[in-house]
Amino acid sequence: MAPQDRDTAALIRRIAAGEQTALAELFAAEAGRLVAIARRIVRRQDLAEEVVQDAFVAVWQRAGQFDMARGSAGAWLTTIVRNRALNLLRDSSRTDYHDGETLAALGDRNADVTNAFDALAERDALKACLRGLDEAKRRAILLCYVTGLNHGEVAATLNAPLGTVKAWIRRGTIALQECLS
Amino acid sequence: MTREDKLALAGDYVLGLLDDAERHDFEQQAATDTELAEMARDLGERMMALDDTVTPAAYDPGLWARIEQRLGAVSAPNVTTLRPARRTMAPAQRWLALAASVVVALGLGYVAGQIQRPSEQPTVVAVLLNQTDSSPAVIVEAFADDSLRLMPLEALAAPAGQVLQVWTLPDAQTGPVSLGTLQVAQDLRLTGPDLPLPQAGQLYEITLEPAPGSPTGKPTGPILVKGFAKAVSP
Repeated sequence: MAPQDRDTAALIRRIAAGEQTALAELFAAEAGRLVAIARRIVRRQDLAEEVVQDAFVAVWQRAGQFDMARGSAGAWLTTIVRNRALNLLRDSSRTDYHDGETLAALGDRNADVTNAFDALAERDALKACLRGLDEAKRRAILLCYVTGLNHGEVAATLNAPLGTVKAWIRRGTIALQECLS
Repeated sequence: MTREDKLALAGDYVLGLLDDAERHDFEQQAATDTELAEMARDLGERMMALDDTVTPAAYDPGLWARIEQRLGAVSAPNVTTLRPARRTMAPAQRWLALAASVVVALGLGYVAGQIQRPSEQPTVVAVLLNQTDSSPAVIVEAFADDSLRLMPLEALAAPAGQVLQVWTLPDAQTGPVSLGTLQVAQDLRLTGPDLPLPQAGQLYEITLEPAPGSPTGKPTGPILVKGFAKAVSP
């Protein structure tokens, strides 16, 4: 376990015991990273901050449910933020864009995907395995994971038929998992 | 279910492609199918390396205060909500109500502004920044009686067929609430809906919406100006 993750796990245990200063410490250590993760998905600074706000209230309520045997503390926290951000994105009434804005937003998403992939460490097996997929499958998977798009939105972004995109993602995620194991 | 089907399902789960019902089904299935659960956990932990590539973002300094404020209310049963009638108004009706309030504001706002009684002190003030170049563009004063004074510092007008719509975010549960629409930003007083007392850190923004106002009742267009409120010391 990385030292940083041990710290996070210790903070979560203190939060579960009702220590509000531990939640403040966790916020100070993680808020910037979590706002940035949420912003890749919801695309707006204010909405990303709202996601992180909700996530920390959820951490306060659910810290007792954290079980280190089922995953790292950092992963637990990141998952809470990702799920909140995805829920907000799927609640279409909040994020309907005008046509003019859709293109800009999609452009940003492509840039985020490229940056995230490029920033993976060279020794990370994930990078090697993603590189092993062909461009379309890799980009479809990254658009979903990094920026929260669904099948239809990926199809629109990549200008490909929906059925084709579904097949890319199915075959791509199977190949990725086989490569990683 | 073949092994390939399970890998594909675990992939959809980790990629966030399942809807609520499908995710619930997946979690039920994973509770008894350890192979499926392990596939999802392994892929999830690997993919998280992508989340860790972010550069930490700057955020509003009031964010922690807003979280702290909600912690106390978490167990409290009475969460402040809007009067339902305000939210279910038909768009046309809402437009009429807002138009009326703008007209009243134009008629009376200037007079009230000139008298400046001592009780007229705003609860919070927000400087809304132009989202293009971050220059101060509009000052908002929010009063305890749900009214709002807009003071534009630069020209801000909606093109034909569109309106400027003023919003605030009282809290995350309530979501953004419309405070009114106008064609051209000018020094005027708006009468907003019945909301909790404006708080320090509360978001105010103006978006560009199709006339006569956002079709969904929530911001849909680009944010023109935005800012967070500061409390006014008595």
